[in-house]
Amino acid sequence: MDFSNKMVVADLEAGVGTLTRLGDAGVDLVLIVVEPTPKSVEVGCRAADLVADKSLGRAVVVASRIRNEDDLVMITKAFPDHQVVPIPDDPAIVAADRHGVAPLDSAPDAPAVLALARLADDLVAFTS
Amino acid sequence: MRVAFVGKGGAGKSAIAGTFARLLARRGQPVLAIDSDPLPGMAFSLGLDRDDAPLPDEAIEDRPEDEEGPRYRLRAGLSAAEAIDRYAATAPDGVRFLQFGKIRTDPRALFRSQIAFRQIIHELPEDRWHLVGDLPGGTRQAFTGWGGYADTYLVVVEPMAKSLLSARRLARLASSADRPVRVLAVANKVTEPGDVELIARRSGLEVVASVPLEPAFADAERSGRAPLDVVPDSVAVGAVSLLLERLDHQQLKGATT
Repeated sequence: MDFSNKMVVADLEAGVGTLTRLGDAGVDLVLIVVEPTPKSVEVGCRAADLVADKSLGRAVVVASRIRNEDDLVMITKAFPDHQVVPIPDDPAIVAADRHGVAPLDSAPDAPAVLALARLADDLVAFTS
Repeated sequence: MRVAFVGKGGAGKSAIAGTFARLLARRGQPVLAIDSDPLPGMAFSLGLDRDDAPLPDEAIEDRPEDEEGPRYRLRAGLSAAEAIDRYAATAPDGVRFLQFGKIRTDPRALFRSQIAFRQIIHELPEDRWHLVGDLPGGTRQAFTGWGGYADTYLVVVEPMAKSLLSARRLARLASSADRPVRVLAVANKVTEPGDVELIARRSGLEVVASVPLEPAFADAERSGRAPLDVVPDSVAVGAVSLLLERLDHQQLKGATT
């Protein structure tokens, strides 16, 4: 397919399996979504290593479900060489998940949604 | 008891499976915890520090060309039970813990260990250990025989739309397995009175336990420590204990083929 002048957003399977199989056709950005838990940080670090090893593109760490400064520090310490974008822990996201609706539709002004909107704006600017 | 925990990623399988395995071991029973997830998980929930431990090369050899089967096999003379005695980690409460390692960069690096792991779980002696398995999130491994050692699949389900959808798919394990299995649901992160009924209705499964969403239990997960060590008196740990009792007493009929 010709993707010129189009944005392609892919949601890969959990873990790093798909990343290991991603060819060198490359992407502009890899967003590594990490929660403040040792398990999640561990997987995120492996994903970041893969992105670097395979020269897949720029990697940005999305720190999800951040409740406090400690949560964010845990993630920024693990990714000292990456931009880390915090997304707050937000009951509106949980409620949207519970009802199977898009957070952007059910709670467009929720803090987490607004943080994601800012991230999207930044990334569009980066890739344009 | 031979159980395997399945469900959508993030549903809480590892935390419940690890707690379940240790509670069972505390009864003086020999327990083998089986982790077939290539991502980190069950080791932390059991209380182990080291998460990534593939089966070593010394345990594995190339399969002779004239022999049918996968490319690798356990070293000649090494039985499944001996491999566990020698290479499975020992977790708190004496739980033995078997895994094939965790993906780092190249998944091919795990092929030898993975094939030997599958041979071990295929050739496990029937009655030596109680088996508690933790499969990766999703449906792929569950439907391709990775939990074949289990006679009971426990589907961990959150009251969330996507988790419910996964549970409905996993309910089909009852009719797809090679041999009779029962498939039951464990409701997790329950917050509202109607959650259990919702899970039962949407998954089509009998709900055998209800584990509440409890900040202290979640905090244990966040800290990478075993809930049983951090919050042994929590309601969530109590709910896992009840699950064990119910299964142990064979009070359930479950969904069987």
